[in-house]
Formats: sequence, structure tokens, C-alpha cells
Amino acid sequence: MSSCGNPSTDQDALMPRRLRFNKGKDCIKCKANPGKIVIRHAVYCKECFIPLVMLKFRRSLEPSVNASAGTSKRPKLKASGSLVLGFSGGLGSSILLDMVHKTYFVNESSANGEARGGTNHPRSASVWTSCAVCYVEVCSAFPETRDRTNEIIKALAPYPKFDFIPLRLEYAFDDSWWRSITTTDQDRSQLTIELGKDGLYTEALRHGPSCDLSPVDALRTYLASLPTQTAISSAIRILVRLLLLYTARSHRASHLLLGTSLTTLSISLISCISQGGGHSIREEFQEEWYYGIPATTENADAIRVVRPLRDVTMKECSMFAWWNSIHVVGRDGQIRATAGIPGLTKDFIVGLEKDYPSTVSTIARTCAKLEPKNASPGLCILCQRPIQEGLDDWKTRISIRSYSDAKLGPDLVYLPTPVPPNSSDVTMSDQCPSISKQLCYSCRTTLTSRGSRAAKPTQPRVIHSTQQPLSAPLPMWVSASCAQLRTEDRQLMVLGNGEVWVGKRQDDATQRNEIAEFLLDT
Amino acid sequence: MAPASCALCQKAKAILKRPKTGQQICKECFFFVFETEVHHTITNAKLFKPGDKVAIGASGGKDSTVLAYVMKTLNERYNYGLDLYLLSIDEGITGYRDDSLETVKRNQQQYSLPLKILTYEELYGWTMDAIVSEIGKKNNCTFCGVFRRQALDRGASSLNVDHIVTGHNADDIAETVLMNVMRGDIARLGRCTLICTQGEDSIKRSKPFMYAYEKEIVMYAYFKKLDYFSTECIYSPDAYRGHARTFLKDLEVARPSAIIDIIHSGEAFGVREDVKVTQKPQQTCKRCGYMSSNDLCKACTLLEGLERGMANSVTTDRARKKLDALGPAPDNLRTIPQFRPAHLPVSVELPKTDL
Repeated sequence: MSSCGNPSTDQDALMPRRLRFNKGKDCIKCKANPGKIVIRHAVYCKECFIPLVMLKFRRSLEPSVNASAGTSKRPKLKASGSLVLGFSGGLGSSILLDMVHKTYFVNESSANGEARGGTNHPRSASVWTSCAVCYVEVCSAFPETRDRTNEIIKALAPYPKFDFIPLRLEYAFDDSWWRSITTTDQDRSQLTIELGKDGLYTEALRHGPSCDLSPVDALRTYLASLPTQTAISSAIRILVRLLLLYTARSHRASHLLLGTSLTTLSISLISCISQGGGHSIREEFQEEWYYGIPATTENADAIRVVRPLRDVTMKECSMFAWWNSIHVVGRDGQIRATAGIPGLTKDFIVGLEKDYPSTVSTIARTCAKLEPKNASPGLCILCQRPIQEGLDDWKTRISIRSYSDAKLGPDLVYLPTPVPPNSSDVTMSDQCPSISKQLCYSCRTTLTSRGSRAAKPTQPRVIHSTQQPLSAPLPMWVSASCAQLRTEDRQLMVLGNGEVWVGKRQDDATQRNEIAEFLLDT
Repeated sequence: MAPASCALCQKAKAILKRPKTGQQICKECFFFVFETEVHHTITNAKLFKPGDKVAIGASGGKDSTVLAYVMKTLNERYNYGLDLYLLSIDEGITGYRDDSLETVKRNQQQYSLPLKILTYEELYGWTMDAIVSEIGKKNNCTFCGVFRRQALDRGASSLNVDHIVTGHNADDIAETVLMNVMRGDIARLGRCTLICTQGEDSIKRSKPFMYAYEKEIVMYAYFKKLDYFSTECIYSPDAYRGHARTFLKDLEVARPSAIIDIIHSGEAFGVREDVKVTQKPQQTCKRCGYMSSNDLCKACTLLEGLERGMANSVTTDRARKKLDALGPAPDNLRTIPQFRPAHLPVSVELPKTDL
């Protein structure tokens, strides 16, 4: 049957699509030129469209440039550090690179010799001391894909003022890279973990270094140990984000800019919600990253992650790139990085955008009105985003996973055939500490939640000396976070119920201060 | 390969894999964990107190049939002390609701619960068949949803009950979270993950199945051999919601925990305080007295459109303007009877076993 539903017409006949614009054929802004592009029912000419996109870019970026808002209505833009730009070679980051270059780093003179845009234009003063373009090569995660670093270097040739920092995904497991970007002399033994189990037990916390894999093998083992394709996509996304953030920190950057468009932002938001990341929904928009410190801390050294294209749709980005002859390298080699829930979400949102063009904007505007219900006690050691309290309670409340749960005691009398409490959990948790309490809900789900069909591991896992198919290595920052817990005055304690407690030794002076008001002068 | 033993009792042979936890468990353990989880949902949220009169929204479908069975079981097992009723709404959909109501009537006999049936026709003067013949299949779910919500409240009010429980399951909640994000309904997004909602002067509504997967409800009904009506509504579902539902099912295939993960997200975020103050306060409808965000409640607005031959006035701006241009509603317009939240005694149909 044809798409119009008439059985008597040609099978392939398509019903004429209703025109999505009804405001006339001239540009809605200048009302003089014929329209060239339809953006959500409104028609724009090329001359009006390009400044409009530039305006959206600056409107999203500039309010977050200065460290504090100040009292001036039009404060002079001055960032507290340098700029790092995350570049993937995709559409968004390509046009972002061009916009940043033209707006803040090129001060071309006009025909009469004066600075273009006047003395107050951001081009006339250096907003950032320098700009570095950071590219993360992910080919090591997918053996069938090729290294595109040289293509990226060529694409960056028109921007000689920008430094280029090539990174590789496996650096997340590379001790030498970690040493080069961190200054503290921490315990750098790599942490390994038994993935796919609810408790997320770690052997390395107790036994020390246990992983002698090369960074590439460690990366592949880690990814192969993840239980779903969604988890792999999510893990790669986290690794790329943290590699960029740590690099930005090592370059004393105040801002990390990402080329996330409105469409990709909406995809990220829905994907984040679908993976249980509702508590950190704000961070998907704009994030202030403090290394290892909760976001509530007043810290001038925070890195602001800004997405200046968050009001520009993918369609607008495409037209902007086309009309400005911006070369886009493309990212077709990363198909597997968007499998699972992120890939499904992308297909869904892009498809929905065709019939309901306002959807992406509605999603972003709706999520901008949300905030986490509860304060965070700290940051997740894997994704470095806020964690929630009471996750175990919530999980226990909504599902019964073991009859050994003490809260279930009175209910067990209604079980037709009484069973003794399951002791396996107690034994496991007694032997190995768990990092689950230091993970956010989303990361915990990423590491433990299985697909509808049990995935078979494609890569050999790290085999321990006990020959148990145990562990996958974890990124360096996870090991570092756990190492921080193992410093001199702290001690990890594992309780019988699987909880890991951090014991902090108090010195005499602290103890005395706490009881000072009850002590008599002698 | 030898069959796996139950992950919970370690004794019996596992016969199913729980979508919610991924565990392979036996039938008896499944019944136990399903019922106990619902019990925990009820007790953790302190939904009821002894002596409460509770109406179970019964459509004859799997969710409400299992809900009625589980509520009756838990009420007896844990001595909740509840007076349970079945409350059904007859939307007037020939070949669908009339058949499903037969299932509800059988459930009434099987579970020995009093039943009250309220029809759209007696309440609004319109059946869904008549509405669809007036407006077509597009957007008819808007009418049905709005009318049903109010009909349930009115039915509960006439039964003099304190509480309505509905069979909304985890899939429904997850779908609603996504829908509300996608259509920008910030007010509903803030409350759709609440297990119990109550407006001013309205009856409490709860969702004891909000953490129960739809698949597990079907499994429970299947293994318990419960009598339910499984046909989908004959009027095409809302296209936009259909997209969301398909998307959710795809997510569930990719990772079954996605449903509970979305609910967790919905519970973790809330509407910003500065946004809340801009939201409209709740008031009562000037025409029927039901809770409303505007002068007229949604049901009265829809009914006025139907009565004046402008049914699409709530779905398109152009039709709304056209209706406004016609002037105020005539005095002889058919309206919904005044809503009376006060508890008034009514007669209900009792099961034959009690007669």
C-alpha cells in the first residue's frame, strides 16, 4: 500500500510531504533577500544566517568566560587561564574551531587599516593566553579502524596559532602519560576489578599492582570486559572526556570547549537519562570540573567545560560549514563508539527531528530547568561527576537480589520453601573490597548491567595468578583516587556486608579539640 | 547444558530470567520476590493506613488484573486492613472495552471484590466511538486520557474511597519521563515519578507497580493463570507516544535495566526552584469544580469543543482562535456534573458470592 493509505494506487507512490515552512519565501530577518535555509519553520538568507549562528555561539560562550560575573553590564572578556578545544574531526568541533579562531584569535585589519569590529571587539584583546587543540585517537579501541591523526593535523593547518595535542585513548591506562600530567607523587599501581558483578570487587586494593599489560592491551581488556555495547560506548565517552579534562588541567586551562550542537546535546541528554545519569544532568550542559573536589567548592582553578554550539542545530552547523568552506574530516570510523543506547538515541532523535523539528530544542530547554534533588557527597571515581547517596538502599528497596538481605527477614516466612541465607555475597565481600560506593549510579550500571543476552567476551581477560578469570584494569585516575584513600592516615576497611569504609586516624590534637569544652584546666 | 538452579533459593530449577535483575530464578521465588517487592513499595511509601477504602482502577488488562490479585493477596497476607473495590471506566469502545469489562466482571467474582462501573456516556454524554466519529483517530487519545482520569476520580468519589491504585508499571513511568522531557511538560515531569500524587480536594492516586517491569507482570499473570484481556485499543495510539514507546522497547533490548535507570533519573532530578515559581497554581474548574490549572479544566474544554462542533480546538491554535471568535459558550451547553469530593454513600454492585 502507498504511504497515503490508498490501496488502489501504485505501491511506491509517496504522499507529497507537507511543506514545513509557511512564512513566505523571503528571509524572515532582512525581509529583502530570498530565503536559502529553513530553520524550524523560519526562512533565512545566507547573509543573515551566518551572523545569526555566530551570535548564538558567542551568546552561549561569553557569559562563562570571566571567572566571576562582576558588576559591569558589559564586562571585558578575560579568562583566568588558557583555552583547550576538544577536536574530534566531526562537524561540530570543526566549525567550533573556525569560529573560535575567527572570533578570538585573528585580528584582521579592514581596508582602511583599522582593527575590524572596533577596539572593544573580543578580537582586539586576547581573551585566552593561548589555545591548544586536543584530539583523542580512538583507533586502539577498534582494531579495524585506522589512525587518523595525520588527517587531523592537515585539517588544523589553516590554524597555525593553535597548538596541537594528540592524545590516544589508551593513555587512560598509561602510567607514563599519567606521570607526565600529574604532579603528585601518588601510588600509581594500576587497579583491576571484576566487572559485571554487583559488588565490583577489587583485588588490587588489597594485593597491590596486578596488571602488567601494555596500555593498548589494558584498554582492550577493559572494553572487552564490559557487559554491553552500551557500556563500551559509555566507557569510551568517559575516557575521552577525562583525557581532555586532565590534559586541560596540565595546560593550566580555564576553559575546555566542545563542539556539541543542539542536536547532539539533546541526544546526550536523553542518553544520559536512559543510562540513569539524571543526577548529573546539569553537567551535560555545562560543567565546572575540579580535580577530585566536589563541585560546591569555591575554587578558582576549576575548568569550565562549555558547549558554545548548544543552541545551533546539526542542520545549521552543516550549512554554516558549507557556506564557510570549512573542511570536516568526519568520524565514520567510530561507528562502534555509538552503539547501544547512545546509538539508538541518536537514531531516534535524528528521526524525530524530521517530523517534529522543535523536539531537540524542547529537550534541551526542558533539561535546562532541572537540577539534582539532593546534594552530592563527592565525585564518582570513574567519570568524576557527582555521586548520589543511598544508591544501595534504593536498589535494595526496589528489587530483591538475595535472600541474605537483613531487611528481608520478616518476609521470608511467606516463602513456600524456606531457604538458608545465601552466604556467597558475604564470603566475596569479606575477601575483597568494593569500589561500588565510590561510583555514581550511571557508572555502576555501566560496569554491572548485562544485556538481554549474556555477552561473550571477545578478548582474553586478565588472568590472575590464582587462574580465576578475574579482572579488568581500570583507568589511571580510578587507581589514583583509590590510592588517595590509602594514604598514611586513611585505611580501607571491608565490612561483612560488602561495604568499604575509609577509616581516618585522628591525631591527639584533633581529638583534644573535639572534647575541649569538657576538659578542665589542670 | 544442565538447567541452572535458581539464583535465589539455589534449590529449584530456574525457569525464567528476571528482566529487572538479570537473575535466573524459579517460579516460586519469582512469585515471592514479585509480591514482596510490591509490598516493599507500598510500605516504604506508607501508602495506606488500616481501614482505608481503596479503589483498584480495573480495565481488565494484564496490569490491573495482576494489581487486583496482588493487592488482595498482600492485604490478606500482611493485614493491611484495606477495603478494596474494583472501579472500571467504560469509555464506550465497541469490540474493545465491552469485551474487557466482561473480564473485569469475572475478576469481580474470582476475587470477591465489589465493582463500580462508570461510563463516559453517563458522565460526558459522549462515548469514545462517538468522539472518534467526530474527530477521527488522530488525537483521540487526548480525549480518552483526560476523560478517564476525571472519570476515575468521580467514580472513586462516588464510592467514598480514600485512595485509587492504578496498574501503571515501570515501563509506563519510564515512557512518561521520556515523553515529558521531549514535549517540555515540566510540571508533569516533576511529579510523574512520585509514587503517590494528590491534588487539592482530590483523592490520592498511587502506583504500586511503578518498579515492576511490564514483562514481569505478564510473566506473573501467565504463571498464575490469571484471567485478563490482552487486546490493544482498536483506536490507533497517539503517534508521538508510539514513537517513545518503540524507543523505550529498543532501549530495553539493548540493556534491560534501561527502564529502571530512566525511573532512577526521573527520581534523581527535580524542577529548579526558580522555574517552579513561574508555574501556574492549581485551582478549581469554574464549570465543574474539578482541579484545574486554568479557569476551565481540560475535560470541560474538550467537552465544549465537542458540543460546539469544534473538537480540534484543543489540538490546534487556529481552531482554538476560531472557537474563541464564536464567543462564550451558550447557556444550554451540555456540561460535566459538578465534582463533589465529599464522601457520599452510593450503591455498588457486589459479587454474587456475597449476596
